[in-house]
Amino acid sequence: MKESLLDIVCCPLDKEDLELDATEREDGEVIAGTLTCTECGEVYPIEDGIPNLLPPDMREEEEAAA
Amino acid sequence: MGLLEDKARARLFYKYLSKVYDRINPFVWNEAMRDEALEWLDVQAGDRVLDVGCGTGFGTEGLLQYTDDVHGLDQSVHQMEKAFEKFGKRDRVHFYRGDAERLPFADDSFDAVWSSGSIEYWPEPVEGLREIRRVAKPGATVLVVGPDYPNSKLMRKVADAIMLFYDAEGADRMFEAAGYEEFEHHIQQAKPGSPKAITTVATVPEE
Repeated sequence: MKESLLDIVCCPLDKEDLELDATEREDGEVIAGTLTCTECGEVYPIEDGIPNLLPPDMREEEEAAA
Repeated sequence: MGLLEDKARARLFYKYLSKVYDRINPFVWNEAMRDEALEWLDVQAGDRVLDVGCGTGFGTEGLLQYTDDVHGLDQSVHQMEKAFEKFGKRDRVHFYRGDAERLPFADDSFDAVWSSGSIEYWPEPVEGLREIRRVAKPGATVLVVGPDYPNSKLMRKVADAIMLFYDAEGADRMFEAAGYEEFEHHIQQAKPGSPKAITTVATVPEE
């Protein structure tokens, strides 16, 4: 994801701002890292450049099903 | 059965489906119908547009004919694999994984919102429509394509068992409940006898 998208993405639960922690970047894109809600502290992963902003209940189900 | 169990079932269903098929299309939705719908949405060059439930990217591809600023959201990465093949993972489209009923975007982020072939899988469609209204700017156009209620008895049975179908009255109720005041429905059909799509074009109220 592009870092400029932080202007529009938010926490799906409380709609508060997210803070980026990038661990890998390539050509102006964040490839890996996390987005953390500045209000509730929920952490959302960036997986191969795609932010996974599924609410935690949907993410957990998927991990359980995998 | 609770909401979460339903959602979990829906996801397993998609996961299976995307392996066999491109996601069941309960109506026949072809390029001509998509292009007609795109004219109703009337996106201008440079507009920021969101495709909710972008799936394999059929709608996304149409939106790219109008603007370069296209954002696609889907809950299932399996569905999106085909879209990645078409547009690259981070090249022409900004992709996100997320839930249509709990959108991860700030208020008033988009100039237009498109959603085709997705609403029939939302457990709480009014919630999804309300979220779309929230993330679209006041005065923005929202276009939602869903399946019109089938005429044949057999299809109705199949339809009701696995997903949502609605007619114009049902659409009126959903859009009103979600806070829209101005909207119109178009029935689209590939040819006489094929399953119909119901396409709603709504304006986000000024606040």
